[in-house]
Amino acid sequence: MSIPSIGSVTALAGVAGLPALPELPSVTPADGDGGFGAALTSGLSQLEGLHDTSDVLAVQAATGDLQDIHDYMIASNEASIATELTVAVRNKAVEAFTEIMRMQV
Amino acid sequence: MAMFAAFHVAGSGLLATRKWLDAVSDNIANINTVSRTEDDAFQARMVVAQAEQYGGAGGVRVAGAMFGDPEGRLVHSPDHPLADEQGYVRMPDIDLGDQMTQLMIAQRGYQANLSVVKHAQDAYTSALQLGQRR
Repeated sequence: MSIPSIGSVTALAGVAGLPALPELPSVTPADGDGGFGAALTSGLSQLEGLHDTSDVLAVQAATGDLQDIHDYMIASNEASIATELTVAVRNKAVEAFTEIMRMQV
Repeated sequence: MAMFAAFHVAGSGLLATRKWLDAVSDNIANINTVSRTEDDAFQARMVVAQAEQYGGAGGVRVAGAMFGDPEGRLVHSPDHPLADEQGYVRMPDIDLGDQMTQLMIAQRGYQANLSVVKHAQDAYTSALQLGQRR
């Protein structure tokens, strides 16, 4: 039984290097104006404005200066829904962050 | 404020119908108001509603009030302390049936706008449930 010399095993010779990876698109931050943080900050200040309106109307209701009942009810509804929306956005952001932190490296 | 536009539009409708209710209650309260024949009778209050058209959030606004006929009607009531020599007094020319009809329409309008607020609130609240796992 003749054993061929190792040098004669040439099958691997044809394996060329892997093709070069395609160039990944570079990640750019959102439009320079702070992205998510700025959006959240402006949302919070809008929310503060809604709560201020609602508080002013609540004081008017207590002092008897309120002209329209529905004004206060609409303002308080608006403030409550806007708060829920802001909290939902915050929860989603925290969820995304924890998801990334759980990533296996 | 485009975010809660439905609230603001319905709020303007509530304000307009509230003013309409005020006008109708004023008319009903003064339906028996008597004045001297040389004075004007109580003039019926009528609100003028106008659509908001100038690119805002929409809705309605009360453009102003218009007043009914100051002539009223002459009623023969010689025993009345305000009666003139012929025994006439002036009373407003307001029809109670017409005012009650307007009262019902205004009340229904107020309820309809409240219903819009309620439904918009329900819609926004269910939009917040979107994508929640619980």
